[in-house]
Amino acid sequence: MSTLIELTELGFAWPGQAELLDIPSFTLQQGESLFLKGPSGSGKTTLLGLLGGVQKPGRGRIRLLGTDLGSLSAGAREHFRVDHTGYIFQQFNLLPFLSVAENVALPCHFSQLRRQRAEQRHGSVSQAASALLSHLGLVDPALQARRADSLSIGQQQRVAAARALIGQPELVIADEPTSALDSDARAAFLQLLFAECRAAGSSLLFVSHDQSLAPLFDRSLALSDLNRAARPSEF
Amino acid sequence: MYLIRLALASLANRRFTAWLTVFAIALSVCLLLAVERIRTETRSSFASTISGTDLIVGARSGSINLLLYSVFRLGNATNNIRWDSFETLAGDRKVKWAIPISLGDSHRGYRVMGTSNAYFEHYQYGRGQALQLAQGQILSDDPFAVVLGAEVAEALHYQLGQQLVLAHGVASISLSKHDDKPFRVVGILKRTGTPVDRTLHISLQGMQALHIDWQNGVPAQGKARISAEQARGMDLQPQAITAIMLGLHSKIATFSVQRQINEFRGEPLLAILPGVALQELWSLMGSAEKALFVVSLFVVLTGLIGMLTAILTSLNERRREMAILRSVGARPWHIASLLMVEAFALALAGVLLGLALLYLGIALAQGYVQANYGLFLPLALPSRYEWTLLGAILAAALLMGALPAWRAYRQSLADGLSIRL
Repeated sequence: MSTLIELTELGFAWPGQAELLDIPSFTLQQGESLFLKGPSGSGKTTLLGLLGGVQKPGRGRIRLLGTDLGSLSAGAREHFRVDHTGYIFQQFNLLPFLSVAENVALPCHFSQLRRQRAEQRHGSVSQAASALLSHLGLVDPALQARRADSLSIGQQQRVAAARALIGQPELVIADEPTSALDSDARAAFLQLLFAECRAAGSSLLFVSHDQSLAPLFDRSLALSDLNRAARPSEF
Repeated sequence: MYLIRLALASLANRRFTAWLTVFAIALSVCLLLAVERIRTETRSSFASTISGTDLIVGARSGSINLLLYSVFRLGNATNNIRWDSFETLAGDRKVKWAIPISLGDSHRGYRVMGTSNAYFEHYQYGRGQALQLAQGQILSDDPFAVVLGAEVAEALHYQLGQQLVLAHGVASISLSKHDDKPFRVVGILKRTGTPVDRTLHISLQGMQALHIDWQNGVPAQGKARISAEQARGMDLQPQAITAIMLGLHSKIATFSVQRQINEFRGEPLLAILPGVALQELWSLMGSAEKALFVVSLFVVLTGLIGMLTAILTSLNERRREMAILRSVGARPWHIASLLMVEAFALALAGVLLGLALLYLGIALAQGYVQANYGLFLPLALPSRYEWTLLGAILAAALLMGALPAWRAYRQSLADGLSIRL
């Protein structure tokens, strides 16, 4: 297994504020699923922003697939993120005015690489979207053609998962994707997500404050253990 | 291309406000183009009211007053011109032709003009177009013949051979009618788009016959009355006329003839150059026309500001949309372009709908406007100037779209991938 993410001596502070992140070392292997426990205020959003190339680290290095994100220009960082990272958020992940299938295909309109991969594997982007949706239990073509906001929240999260996975990005970042789901749906969603990540060969970085999910992952970490800048008063 | 699809889908999701915005722009565009068209047509129809005439001569008064009553049939002459003055002028060797004009009577609100057949031969409007008959013939020897302007015939449903009675004076409801001497319609002119359409033309002899038994401005009573039959047999040579239109052999002589007439010893006369007087008159009305144009420009600006407001207020509630787009790979300049596309699409739809409204409006109002205002609005493709105006509106919309685009750019940079409620 090769290393997907490697953080060394990473430090970040918002302008005029104390250092929010101070991570001496962190790695994520390719194909690995990691549970990262991060309550709000622990620098979680900032860390995801750094991994996504939205912000530049203040000091230290972030290597994604061996590339130092800090050495890339802002545009190139964005480009790199889109090619290699899929995102799932808490809820309301979808553009309500597009169909379910169009929502899934969105990343392929902004990343040439993911479009090519989707086409290689499934023939076309729309076939890739349809196949992913089917794997995630949304088989009905009529449902795939519906407006995204006509689906239940559980279904919407599965659509978001399909979108994060289309074009097989090396990394899927899920930020509390199950917090809006009940416990049965939560387990079912995770099983599907694991299976699809495995099928696509993607690593999964799963951020949540719900410790009960941790045993389902290859590895589990608390952001507060990683981050020396975390203040104890926050949790 | 995908950005356009996304922008349109997002707009469709907000279709109620989008349509309102488009409609506001469309109405303003329609107003602007309508004003522009009416302005252009008014100006050109105004400038083409009279052509080919070198000098207009009347009793000494103001040049605009003379132009108004002799060409536009508005207002009244202050004084008459003696017939022998006309003969003197018409006999001048520099003068090619002379049209006598005698005004003062009316028929159901339309002016009656006494003239000679030289009028039908020499009077020109537009770009040297002569008057043409639609039906019948020009004035004959019979003094009680009348040739109608196109609008008179159409509005009053007159046909050839019909008898009509003229009224004394120019009030639309006249108490004294020349009902003892009815006129017969012998000809109807083709439409010209000038005041000729609203005029009834009779011969000077007819004009004289109408008033032959009048004394001190009132008709004769009892035995002193002269019937139409008796009048036919009498000498109907007019004693006075109201104005003269002159055509010269050489344009170069215009100013010397003008001076000669203004210094005429027989009676105080005034000669004007119709083109110059038209310009003077237009400059009086021109500022109103410019004001109207400026107002309609501001209405367009208001429409565009409405669009700007609608887009700007939507930005905040669309932060989620922006963040989602960012998370699937849209870069900040994509987000900015989306908003530019949106502004352009709204303005383009507004311009197209505005054009549609304009043509619908012209198609519906064309007949009415021509009948009532003598203004022909052509159902023509936009002129080069109109295209320029439309292009400028679209450019202004893009320029305005840059503001929300810039804000969204900043916003999406600041928000990054995080969705803020």
